[in-house]
Amino acid sequence: MELTKLWVAQIDDYVIDLAWSPDGALLAAASASGPIALVSSADGARAHDLPGHEGGTNVLAWGPAGGSGSTGIRQSLFASGGQDGAVKFWDAGAGQHTATAELGAGWVEQLAWGAPGPAAACGRRFALLNPDGSTRFTPWEAPKSVSALAWRPGGAGDGAPGCVAAAFFGGVRLFNSGDFSVAKEFPYGNGIQALAWSPDGKWLVSGNQDPSVHLWVPDRDEELQMSGFEGKVRHLSFDHASRWLATSGGVEVSVWDCTGDGPAGREPAMLAHEAPVTAVAFQGRHGLIATASRDGSVRLWSPERPRPLRATISLPSAATRIAWSPDDRRLAIGSDRGFVYALGCPG
Amino acid sequence: MPEPIPVTVLTGFLGAGKTTLLNRILTESHGRKLAVIENEFGEVGVDNQLVISGEEELFEMNNGCICCSVRGDLIRILGRLLKRKDRLDGVLIETTGLANPAPVAQTFFTDDEMRTAFRLDAIVTVVDARHVPAHLDAGDESVKQIAFADVILLNKTDLVSPGEIQSLEGRIRGINPVAALFPTRNCDVPLAKVLDVGGFNLARAGEIDPGFLEPERPFEWAGAYTLPAGLHPLEIGHRDEANHEGHDHGDEGGAAHLHHHGNEDELDLVVLPLPEGGASAMPSDDAITAAEAEAERLYSGWETRLKDGDKAAPGPALYRLLLREGCGRFMLEIPEAGRYLVFEQCGEHPLHIGAAGANVRPGWQKDYHAAHGHDDEVGSVGIRQEGELDGKRLNDWISELLRTRGGDIYRMKGVLSVRGTDKRLVFQGVHMLFDAKFDRPWGSEKRMNTLVFIGRNLDRAGLTAAFKACLTD
Repeated sequence: MELTKLWVAQIDDYVIDLAWSPDGALLAAASASGPIALVSSADGARAHDLPGHEGGTNVLAWGPAGGSGSTGIRQSLFASGGQDGAVKFWDAGAGQHTATAELGAGWVEQLAWGAPGPAAACGRRFALLNPDGSTRFTPWEAPKSVSALAWRPGGAGDGAPGCVAAAFFGGVRLFNSGDFSVAKEFPYGNGIQALAWSPDGKWLVSGNQDPSVHLWVPDRDEELQMSGFEGKVRHLSFDHASRWLATSGGVEVSVWDCTGDGPAGREPAMLAHEAPVTAVAFQGRHGLIATASRDGSVRLWSPERPRPLRATISLPSAATRIAWSPDDRRLAIGSDRGFVYALGCPG
Repeated sequence: MPEPIPVTVLTGFLGAGKTTLLNRILTESHGRKLAVIENEFGEVGVDNQLVISGEEELFEMNNGCICCSVRGDLIRILGRLLKRKDRLDGVLIETTGLANPAPVAQTFFTDDEMRTAFRLDAIVTVVDARHVPAHLDAGDESVKQIAFADVILLNKTDLVSPGEIQSLEGRIRGINPVAALFPTRNCDVPLAKVLDVGGFNLARAGEIDPGFLEPERPFEWAGAYTLPAGLHPLEIGHRDEANHEGHDHGDEGGAAHLHHHGNEDELDLVVLPLPEGGASAMPSDDAITAAEAEAERLYSGWETRLKDGDKAAPGPALYRLLLREGCGRFMLEIPEAGRYLVFEQCGEHPLHIGAAGANVRPGWQKDYHAAHGHDDEVGSVGIRQEGELDGKRLNDWISELLRTRGGDIYRMKGVLSVRGTDKRLVFQGVHMLFDAKFDRPWGSEKRMNTLVFIGRNLDRAGLTAAFKACLTD
């Protein structure tokens, strides 16, 4: 497969998060030491340099495309969470800080912006926010630090849409975002590293510390567990059709077939790296999956093919994050040395 | 894969001096990029170093096993610390005074990410010489902190007498005979003794000083008293609550908790004269060693039974004091003024010698490893034995031991001689987590098995017998 190298941009420290604007015109890149760069998708030119968070930025999330006049969400609004215990809101067009939500003394490492708005966690405190920085309800204090968040995509069933899942050591709680009531509670007796919903809203999946993957079908109160992973499962990604679930806990990525009753008992396709995997991402609308590793290799795969490997890219240092542009035509890769690489991918 | 980053864990009760040590390490570690994770409000704050405050978060497993617990906050914080362009040279973790060190240590052995990126170098425990006796008597978390330590700073020694320091060293050695122990004032120990210690390094597991593996004794406590000539009251227990200010040891703090082995109303006692030691208040090591050997001989002989009011005297005799409800009042006849060493079979019996209407305090005292076990007591068992071990028997024994007793074994380390290999088998463990490998050949060194277990309720006789059963015939 032919990939084109589009541009390279540099920020001042480890690339801790990458996020494309909904229209694909801008890429936000956060450095672990704090600053956030907004670069042009076309040529990697710097649109804005934002100060980010004192002590370091952890996570980025863009507001949804289109926005709605009534809530004042503009297309160019995005949020960031940092070591200062705050979620900050930024106007990407103007390159300006617009609002701050001070959530507490912990770190904001979890931030997700769904259709009903942003959700964030600071240590054990979990809050639904308004884009003006105010909290919509009294935040919930989880029994342990909130370790993952995921908004449920559209679809029918309990609390959907507008339902958000928050994971902590001990389980997952589903909240209805309309009134912050508890829709479901799923106990799990270990640490949870990652959460993902299938795009059809059927499966809620956790990657666990024990190390295992746990799947729930919230609408049917069913669950299943897959264990035997090499290390704690930190990366999860579903393909756009909700068929393939990629999981990683070590140097390999397993891709599971989730059709019908789900992946239990089925052999996954194994996608291998030579060093621990640092990121896994399916395209949003097509079937490729990108995987990145600590040795700097980034691979593209078509998991349904008998020989799935499509391309390998080698970077000079560890790849930390990968992100597909909304149209799947560009792949952004961050490195631990502070470089951001953009590759063009044929449609 | 880059070299793992060394991690030093500082434990100790609030006020013991952890912050002093931390500040010393930060100010004296020029050019090293260190990160500090602190869990109490300290006064740490040195330019250009990372200081992170967090809340301790224990991840306990459903089975309730402490051996499976890890510290979730450390996984999160250390995971984030790895996300930087410039490498860290080291990490210091300051635990709260009440923290159990086990989950901290286990975090670095069970979590795959922590295990590859970091290397637990040592648990350093700072102990306040003035306040630690009360903590040890109460049997609180400070006992565990001492038991888990690779390095112990007996700090604030300027606030206690030399005799108290010596006695404290004895008590600490009784809990943990293998840690490096330094008496300090303001944690003034060379940093090389605290950093890069390799406490969990298998290659150094064999560096156990056999001198610390003290033999078990038939007595648990000895105290040196300077006494005038005459007939003095020798009182055991607290019969008269109004008259026991300044009791000598085994501070019960009002909570009667005497535990017993054998007949609880019998206490074996030996009193020996000490040679004149000149101006020093401290008896010489040689004099102590000679007296210990003599006392050990006497403890295996016939006893003289003493009832309330009967007389004991210094010399080669074993007295069995007959008590009522743990108490008794006897007389001690001192022929000439001088120093005398009193050996007591059970160290938990408060013992008072009166002279001139007041209790005399011992100028020196020491706790010993007892041959018998106390309930719920933290201590150590050292085994040193020539011979070759059968690999399978050894493996079966250790597996069974860790499965059934892992919760009570805090630390263990050793060097073993296994039949069929010319290499030393070195091992170390924390609770049920166990790590062993063959390192260098024995060469001209004598093939000797050396093991130390530190833990709670350790059965010395049982462990020793089970170990010996692993020897080849």
